[in-house]
Amino acid sequence: MPKCTINGKEVEVKEGTSIIEAMQQSGDRIAHYCWHPGLSVAGVCRLCVVEIEGNPRVQIACNTMVTEGMKVNNTSEKVKDAVKWGLDFHLINHPLDCPICDQAGECGLQDQYMEYGKYDPEMAEAKVKKHKVVDLGPTVVLDSERCILCSRCVRFTEEVSKTNELGLFNRGDRTEIGTHDGMLLDNKYSLNTVDICPVGALTSKDFRFRQRVWYLKDGDSVCNGCSTGCNIKVYYNKEGLFRIKPVYNEQVNGHWMCDSGRNAYKFVNREARLVKGVVAGKEMAPGAAAKSASEVLKSTSGDALALVLTAQYTVEEYEAIIKTFVEEFKTKKVFFWVNNKETFDTFDGLLSRGDKNPNTKGLLKVMEKYGITSTWADLSAGLANGSIKTVVVAGPENQAVFPDYNERLKELSKAQNLIWMQAGKNDALTALTGNVWIIPMKTFVEKDGTFINFSGLEQKIKKVTNVVSEALTLTEATLLMVGKNLALPTANAAFMPNNQRDDQVTLEARKKNEFVFRRGSL
Amino acid sequence: MSVMQNNSEKSKWFLPGILGGLATTMKHLLKNLFNQKKMMTLNYPEEKYEYSPRFKGNHVLTVKKDGSLRCTACMLCATNCPAECIKITAAEHNDPAVEKFPISYEIDILRCVFCGFCEEACPVDAIRLGPEWQTPGVNGANFIYDINHLAYRPNLKGGILTHVDDQERHKAGI
Repeated sequence: MPKCTINGKEVEVKEGTSIIEAMQQSGDRIAHYCWHPGLSVAGVCRLCVVEIEGNPRVQIACNTMVTEGMKVNNTSEKVKDAVKWGLDFHLINHPLDCPICDQAGECGLQDQYMEYGKYDPEMAEAKVKKHKVVDLGPTVVLDSERCILCSRCVRFTEEVSKTNELGLFNRGDRTEIGTHDGMLLDNKYSLNTVDICPVGALTSKDFRFRQRVWYLKDGDSVCNGCSTGCNIKVYYNKEGLFRIKPVYNEQVNGHWMCDSGRNAYKFVNREARLVKGVVAGKEMAPGAAAKSASEVLKSTSGDALALVLTAQYTVEEYEAIIKTFVEEFKTKKVFFWVNNKETFDTFDGLLSRGDKNPNTKGLLKVMEKYGITSTWADLSAGLANGSIKTVVVAGPENQAVFPDYNERLKELSKAQNLIWMQAGKNDALTALTGNVWIIPMKTFVEKDGTFINFSGLEQKIKKVTNVVSEALTLTEATLLMVGKNLALPTANAAFMPNNQRDDQVTLEARKKNEFVFRRGSL
Repeated sequence: MSVMQNNSEKSKWFLPGILGGLATTMKHLLKNLFNQKKMMTLNYPEEKYEYSPRFKGNHVLTVKKDGSLRCTACMLCATNCPAECIKITAAEHNDPAVEKFPISYEIDILRCVFCGFCEEACPVDAIRLGPEWQTPGVNGANFIYDINHLAYRPNLKGGILTHVDDQERHKAGI
């Protein structure tokens, strides 16, 4: 374990740590573009320079390993000067189109320039013009003028996605990023290149120009796209969600996430959501719809009642609804709706799994806890012979990963009473007639809870924002379906004054005060 | 509140005061009759007062030489607006040289405080506060100005050309 001194602070690091990693560990700021903790070292931007005692020249910190007793600093005038001139070289051909650029507001170049910039450029030559708005593939747009050739994206396709679509072409100041002849940047992880681009050269087609980043707030959550459970940040404002980006978690996803996970925000937004509850063709508030379902549930005997669950809800919600069904309604007919059965166990080797539910393990765990062993065949048989009369379904949030949706809907609608809880709109569902209750549900960004991923790792999620505030969580819907009311948990007498005098006028006495009485409420 | 009263004998003589007032009126009447050009009043609305060119009146969106909008929908004006009266929706332009442009640009003029911060925030001289200041209207009038009004209203005679030109900037290598 070598010890080194960074900016006067003593830091102990692991063997084989580079100076830049040691600086991150000690909390020192250092300018860098091309270095990324998830990729190999390229050393092309020459910005992470530091001064090492005993060494006459400044060195790059990303490719220099820490040795015992090394004394490093990056606050000296020499280093600042080197960074300043390095930045000036980066800006030689960089266009000043921040008003158009989508990265403005979260751009590495802007940030570095504010900190180290040399505000008067001394270049007499005109900028080299390169290609603008290059269509790299179905998801990414390139502006090669803005590119500062840090090669992060190229290394990403080489090392992480291993698809090798991108390369650096030409020499000198005519170098450009591009795809190899006849290829498109078209892989399942392509949008990670947009995340790691330190400037606005690579932009996401999906997010492009839709919102300025400084109008967005963010909150941490867990992706519900598949059973990997990548840690994510969702970016939202009052108009809804706009994008999802990965958050580093070594145990789960490292630095990356897949493109299909990034689409998870779409089914959360208001235009894709059920807003009103429907009871037998009549629109109602979600809470009223759930309450009206309680009557039919009460009148159904336990044997004629079945519950169908998809693995897209949280452990707490499963606990609440299964417990209610087993203990209050006395039925153990709880069924797990498995979508895409054939590809359930597939894995692409990086992140994306065939099980497109975030909480399969959690559902199985709760079902096991209550000793539920029923299979889908029992349900089909029960529906066919009419012994199951009322079916309660907690439908999918992300309907796109349920290819058998319509088929199952048709099968379940054979039941006399169908109580369907779901977050997203669906035409086939709303077209159902007869005794059908449709209850709008909240999505994963709107509630607290736990997801258990494929490896059994429990991850807590917190409410980020409200998109459809009147929608219910499964727990709330369960309470209403039992016939109880939703009560806000209030701490008793939490805000009562505790420093009152003995002769303090109490509220009861004040109400009787003649003056207040005459004038009405103050 | 105390009330002061002048109860002196002199204050009972009101006629000199009335005559003095009439004399002032007569003086102005004669002056304006024989010297009409220096009269202090205007016959509004036939005659209108012209403010200085720096006056901050109704907004104008400037245009390029070809008559298209100069605005790049960078949202800096909307960000800087203290009254939050600007609403912009950006979209991708067919021309790669333009790249981004506003498909809708709306100013809620009833919220606007005419501070000029939008003008100052604009990096491309796309929005200016113009000389117009008369914007009367009754309830039914449209007080949300859209692109069409801001850039191409009849008074502007085809739009105000900005002095910042993209092609010139590109030639200069900026």
